[in-house]
Amino acid sequence: MTAPGVLKICLVVFVALLVQSTVGVGISILGVHLDLMLLLPIAAGIGGDAEEGAVMGFVAGIAADLLLPTPFGLSALVYCLVGFVVGYSTGSIVREVWWFTPVVALAASAVAVMLYAVLGAVLGQDQFLQLNLAAIVGVVSIANAILILPAIRVVRWALPSADDTRTPAAGGRW
Amino acid sequence: MPRPRRSRRTLTTLVVLLLISVTIITLDASGKGHTLTSGIKSVGTDVFSPFRAGVDDIIDPVGDFFAGAVHYGSLEQENHKLQAEIGNLRMQAAMTPAQQKELAKLQKLLALDGLPATVTRLPMVPAQTIRQNTSNFASTITINKGRGQGVVVGDPVVGGGGLVGRVVVTSHSSATVQLVTDGQFKVGVVYGNNQFATLVGQGAGKPLAVDYVAPTTKISKTTQLVTNGLAAAQYPQNIPVAVPTSIRTVTGATQKDIQARPLADLGTLTYVNVIQWSPSPTPQTKAT
Repeated sequence: MTAPGVLKICLVVFVALLVQSTVGVGISILGVHLDLMLLLPIAAGIGGDAEEGAVMGFVAGIAADLLLPTPFGLSALVYCLVGFVVGYSTGSIVREVWWFTPVVALAASAVAVMLYAVLGAVLGQDQFLQLNLAAIVGVVSIANAILILPAIRVVRWALPSADDTRTPAAGGRW
Repeated sequence: MPRPRRSRRTLTTLVVLLLISVTIITLDASGKGHTLTSGIKSVGTDVFSPFRAGVDDIIDPVGDFFAGAVHYGSLEQENHKLQAEIGNLRMQAAMTPAQQKELAKLQKLLALDGLPATVTRLPMVPAQTIRQNTSNFASTITINKGRGQGVVVGDPVVGGGGLVGRVVVTSHSSATVQLVTDGQFKVGVVYGNNQFATLVGQGAGKPLAVDYVAPTTKISKTTQLVTNGLAAAQYPQNIPVAVPTSIRTVTGATQKDIQARPLADLGTLTYVNVIQWSPSPTPQTKAT
């Protein structure tokens, strides 16, 4: 990954953090707000590859952790893993149906939130598992499934390897 | 067959990033390392705050417009009420020479309402809540006063009739307050005839758990639980924290099963007061 590439990623993360910390925390559904930072590694994994998903996840996670009262580095760890797994598992799949990308975002978000809660509990934050986890998983996953298509467009601008070879064959566009 | 070079590089990148993440988490969990990570968070917040404030200034009117469109009826009623209040305030303001001072005093009084005199005499920094719950996994508020105004990590925060929480992160001009309902929050309390217990947060919207109350102890739903102020306590003495809402004695259990409601109205925390307090061997306030 080149220096301009890293700078582009940092810029996208900065803007996303700005949106998350102003609009994202302002929108609350069932007491749960959106997690736009988690959207970035998933979009990078789908729109780029596993390495870019991991790097985007790490940078987005560290940035998110700067403003969160939760353990520093936990978001970076979870987002990095999620970005890598999404990029690795979807890299060789031909996407012929329009709903493939939203479903991947939905599943990846759900897994990420649960992983975050479990790892947090392992690190002594027992309350992570006592919260209304179903509501958090539901709201974050559905919101990310809806927002994944525009997020991929934004993220692909920053990714060096992003090209059109992974566009859905059924005539759909990201 | 040898593994492709790109695949190896991807794995190496992943392993390096995961190792860095785990190292940061370990540092954050340790005593000295936590000071470092707190410092990094503080610098990050300082750098980011002006950008966030700029965006807030742009989007707040838009948000207010849509909120107004959705809640038109209730806003109209509130508008009438506020107009009446404005009339009263104008009369008061006409009688007051230093309006700014008066306003600050009223805001302070609003946050101190319901607190005992022993608490209100402590040195305090009045602050306004600018953000609530930045994480889905923590109960926090962000206030508009920080290191620049003398707020430091660990300072207790009161308002709305009781203990609100304690400062966990500070930047130059803002601070994050962990609310009493947060799952990591614990406070030693005293009630009745000098009996001690511990209050533990269980998450936003959930009652507090009261621990270490023996099954034979007399406690009712009117008993007020206040901070104990023991030596080296994190909170000054006598700050009202909660009242029990359910008390159950389970047969064979070593303690009563008690849930409590915070006395501070955490849903409408517009103004709070940060108590400038540092734990000391004997219960006392910071030198002013």
